[in-house]
Order: sequence, then structure tokens, then C-alpha cells
Amino acid sequence: MKARHHVAIVALMLVIRLMPTHAHHSLSVEFDTDKTVTLTGTITEMKWSNPHGWLYIDVKDAQGDIQKWAVEFASPNQLYRRGWRREDLPVNASVVVNGYRSRDNSARISATDVKLPDGRTLFAGNNEKQ
Amino acid sequence: MSCGSVVRVMLLAAIVAGGWRSVVIAQQASGAAIPSLPTRPDSVCPDDNPIAVRACGRERANTFTPPKTPDGKPDFSGFWGGSQVAHENLEAHVRTPDDNGGPSVIVDPPDGKVPIQPWAEVKRLENRARYIDQNAQCFQSGVPRHLYMGTYQFLQTPAYLVQLSEETNAVRIIALDGRPHVGKDIVLWQGDSRGHFEGNTLVVETTNQNGMPRLDQQGHFYTDAATVTERFTMFDPNTILYEATIDDPLVYTRPFTIAIGLHRNTRQGYELWEESCYEGESNATHLLNLGYRNYPGFSAKDAQIAKEAYERSRTR
Amino acid sequence: MKPALALLVFAILSVTAYAQSYRAPRTPAGQPDLQGIWQAVNTAVWNIQDHSASLGVPAGQGIVDGNEIPYRQEALAKRRENYRNRATEDPERRCFMVGTPRILYMPYPFQIVQTRDQIAIISEYVHTVRSIRLTGQHPAGSVQWWMGDSRARWEGETLVVDVRNFTDQTWFDRSGNYHSDALHVVERFTRTSPDHIQYEATIEDPKTFTRPWKISMPLYRRVETNVQLLEYECQAYLEAERDARR
Repeated sequence: MKARHHVAIVALMLVIRLMPTHAHHSLSVEFDTDKTVTLTGTITEMKWSNPHGWLYIDVKDAQGDIQKWAVEFASPNQLYRRGWRREDLPVNASVVVNGYRSRDNSARISATDVKLPDGRTLFAGNNEKQ
Repeated sequence: MSCGSVVRVMLLAAIVAGGWRSVVIAQQASGAAIPSLPTRPDSVCPDDNPIAVRACGRERANTFTPPKTPDGKPDFSGFWGGSQVAHENLEAHVRTPDDNGGPSVIVDPPDGKVPIQPWAEVKRLENRARYIDQNAQCFQSGVPRHLYMGTYQFLQTPAYLVQLSEETNAVRIIALDGRPHVGKDIVLWQGDSRGHFEGNTLVVETTNQNGMPRLDQQGHFYTDAATVTERFTMFDPNTILYEATIDDPLVYTRPFTIAIGLHRNTRQGYELWEESCYEGESNATHLLNLGYRNYPGFSAKDAQIAKEAYERSRTR
Repeated sequence: MKPALALLVFAILSVTAYAQSYRAPRTPAGQPDLQGIWQAVNTAVWNIQDHSASLGVPAGQGIVDGNEIPYRQEALAKRRENYRNRATEDPERRCFMVGTPRILYMPYPFQIVQTRDQIAIISEYVHTVRSIRLTGQHPAGSVQWWMGDSRARWEGETLVVDVRNFTDQTWFDRSGNYHSDALHVVERFTRTSPDHIQYEATIEDPKTFTRPWKISMPLYRRVETNVQLLEYECQAYLEAERDARR
């Protein structure tokens, strides 16, 4: 049926159009897209900066020591347009973050998504394949 | 109101309103409400093949009447979007973790290859290996590259077409009033553009570029001697056929032409918002730590010297 | 009244009346036409208040009404600290955007392009663009932009612009006059002659100042033949300099 065909095409196009339009240097120059990691941590800071927002989290390792991680997001405007505001990522909130590990082995990941305690998932907007 | 119930309300509203587009939007991105992302209607011409888009678009343009300004010129005002493909590589390239992949955007020469001179191919490989893309530094991307893949608003008055990008707040001002170009001793990141109408096509000539931006992420480059001639032709209400011919005789064996579809964003109330790119830039620091450097640009004089050195090396 | 005196009074009233009731040409949409290339000719970028000269800095009569900026007591200490650190802490030194209204008195020309729903002010300084919209609302919630969000309406000959949604990162001048993210600016642009716009702005920021205060200045049309905006891509020059030192 034509309407459904249109919906499917527009859905596909919207998915494509959700890719970051500011994909400056290629993702895999900096991050290893073969190595997905999952981190559970507490938010210490959210920086709403361009071209990437940055979420800083404290992650407890197996020994109970705190590791500080930096999580790369899409730009603030891409997050604002999805209705997200600073209040949604408050300090001390506990989050689960999925992303790609940095190639230089520093404690940085490029986020694919972030899950908040109330179950909402924040699409991080970085990876154009999502 | 929780996210889930927001989605339910939106779906209900959409069903009640009968608008299929809002239903699709409500289903997007993990249940979050998306108030103002772009909306891109279908084009009448196939979107994935530049040669086909160009042929189809040019044919359609013969019978299509675009919206007009009060003084009778085709009106390019509004919000538009590009595509990622040319940004990655002007030539055909496959999908990798790095790239979305896509066909060549080069429609002339017909083999879709950049007609690059041998000395310049060596330089291109050096560019790719050594230098940070200007896009990563939040610098502007010149002509034609600033029109590849962004989120645009075109503002048109009788004397000017202004092309605004959300990305890095880039801006290009095209004078339509017939004034001469600035003097050759002034070079500019976005060049110096002069436009005039030929029927329903806006033809723009850009000179005085500074040779700093590269044409794609593969290191394709040009010098300050380049002339870029663009043609903007709307062939359906929501699509512009964008053609750009790059002429730089020191770097390329002949002028070559790319074609890209620019698609109207029909989302009601859409706005370009400020992107304070350089103010927050930290990616470039990381790339600098990995050993990349800022591109120093390449003038016509640099090109002449490099070309002669290459030719001397070949005769040994 | 003696004829000579009457003539004098008449002449004075005519000049005043002319300045107050200049009717600008209209755009195709029927609005007063603000378009063109404009520039402020003053020293406000150095210091928006009266100041004497120093090496490299010209003296200037300020643009602040009453020459007083009503800082809160605790905010005054920060202003003094800014002044001491101005060589490194002024955002302009890092080639960052300089905010509103400072972009209008930067020593670079800017171009106004005007359509029915939107007025773009494009500065030569790091290609700064202010999109002043005659439609829509300020975005709700804590959205912060360096140049703020500008929404405007016409009041007769005057464009009245309401600007909110600021960061706290910009300074009003190179001397360290500053604001918080609660900044609210109301601007008035009025053509007063073929080649002048009178610009006024009311600055309000309860976190920093005890009351609103005003600035005003003329903007001058750049009348040279074929004058156009060029570029000052500060960031590129700064990065090239850093590269040279690596």
C-alpha cells in the first residue's frame, strides 16, 4: 500500500538522516569500532560542548578502585533536538554506557548509547550506522 | 511525563491527525520525543547515483517551474540537507567502519575518477597521511565542499544568496548584483562568489579561494588558482540538482564536475542553531597527539614548484 | 519672535525632527530595510566605559548610559580579576565567539541580510552569524549558546530584539566586563539616516548586576564602492601559530 511504502522509505531516510552531519575525522581513526565496551558508572560531569558532548563517569573496577572515564557524545544541538536537556544527565546519576574503546588506550569511549536508571536510553548520536 | 507515555500520546495524536510522517517520527530513536529533526521527502529522481540524478534532474528541470521571488527569480530560500558520501571520498568507495561508502560523485569525466596529475597524486597521499581534516578543526570547508553534507539554510534577497550551515556556523555569501570579484591578493576560505541566473538555474563563479580546505577526506586538494563554477537547479519542489566544476590546471589534467542532490527539509518550524565548534574542540588535540598536523595550504606557486620537482625526479 | 531667531528655531527643530522620523526604504516584504555592510566606530571593544589610552589602546568615551555598570558587590571582584587576567582569559584571545552585543562593536564590519522572517547579522570576525528570528520562541529549558537566541518584532521603524539563552563564557569587552548565563539583552535597531543605524541595548542579569543598564551607539554604513565582507578566520591563524611551536 502506498502509504506504508512511504512510511518505510521515510523511516529509512530518517534513520540515515539521524547520522551526525558533523562527522569530521573518521570515527575509527580514534576509536576501535571492533572493540565494544560496556561501562557502569556515576556521572561526575556532563560537558555540553561541540562538536561532541562529553560525559565524565566514575567506574568502579574489580578491586573497588575508581577509574575516571570520558564518554564522547554527539553535538549538543543533536541532543537538544531530541528533547534532552542538561537536567537529564545530572551529577551522581548512575548510568550504563555502551561504546567503542579509544585506540590510544586512554580511558575514553565513543558512546553508542547511554541507559539511565529510569530505563530511558539516550541515543548518543555518534555512530552513523545506528 | 515519562518517555514511554510521551511516545504513546504522540502516536495517538498522530493517528488522530492521520499524519503518517509524525507516526514515523514518534517511532524513532528509542522512544524519545524528537521535536525538530529534519524531514526529507522523496525526490522524483533516484537519489543514490549522481550520474542518474544529474540526467534525471536536468530533464525534469525543463518542465518544472520553481517557486519564484517577488522579482521573478527562482527562489532557493529554505532549509536544505546534503549527503555524507562526497565528504568521505569524491570517488566510488566501499563501506568500512570508517566510511558509509557510496558511488563516485564525479559525473565528468564519465569514469568517475578525479583527473589528477601524477605529481598531485603523490601530494594527495601525503595530505591524507599527515594532516588533520579542516572539518575536524572546525574550520570552514570552501567551495564546493561546504555544500556536501551539512544542514543548511539559504536566505535569498535580490542582491545576495546567503548559505548558512549549522556545522561550525559556516557561511557563504554569493553576490547576485553583478559586482566584480575582489582583487587577486585577497584569498578567502569560502572564496569569493558571484552568481547570475540563466533561466531557472543559478550559476555561481567562485575564485580567490585560499587552497586551505581539502575536497574530501582522501586529501584531494586545490590551489588558490582554482575556479569553481556551480549550477543550482531545482527540478522538483524539494530537490536541487547541485553541480560543481572544479578547474585547477596545475593540479588536474582537466576540469571535472561533481553532482549532488540537495534535499529540502520540510520540517515545520525547523531552525538552524548555533554550533560553537571551535570553542569546545577537543578532537583536534587528540589527533595532534597522534601526530597529525594542520594543513598549511597550497598555493599556485607551491604547486608549480612541486610539479617541476616531480618531473625532474622522473627524468633521472 | 524675530525672523532670524524663528528661522534658527525652525532649523533646529527640522534637524531633530529629521533624525527622529527618518523613514527607511522598505524591503520587498515591506519592512524598514536594515541591509548593508555596517560597522561601529568607537573603542567599546577595549572598554565599554570611558577610558584613557595606554600602549596599543586608544582612549574612548564609553557607550554605557551614565558610564556606570551596576555590578553586585561579589561580581565586582570577579570583574577586577578578569581585568588582571585579560591577556589570556578574554575569549577573543582564544578566537572564540565574543557574544552579544560585543559582536556589533568588534573592529570588523558585519553584513545584515534581511528576509520577512529572519534577519542574519554576519560578522567578518570568525564568520559569526546571528540569526534573528521574527518567528518562534526562545527554546525552553537550559539551552545555552555563545551568541544567545534572538527573537524580534518590528515596532514602527525599530527592530526590537529579545536575546536570551546565553552561556557565561563571553565578556562585554577586552577589559573584563562580563555576565552570567542569566543574561538577557533587549536591543533596538533604528535607521536614522541613509547611512546610520542607532543601536541601543538594555542589559539585564540579576546574578551579576543590581539593576538593568543601557548602552547605545551609532552604526555606520560602509559606503565604499563594492565594499564587501572578507574574513578574519582567527582560529586558523591561532592553530597555525601553535603548529609552528610544536
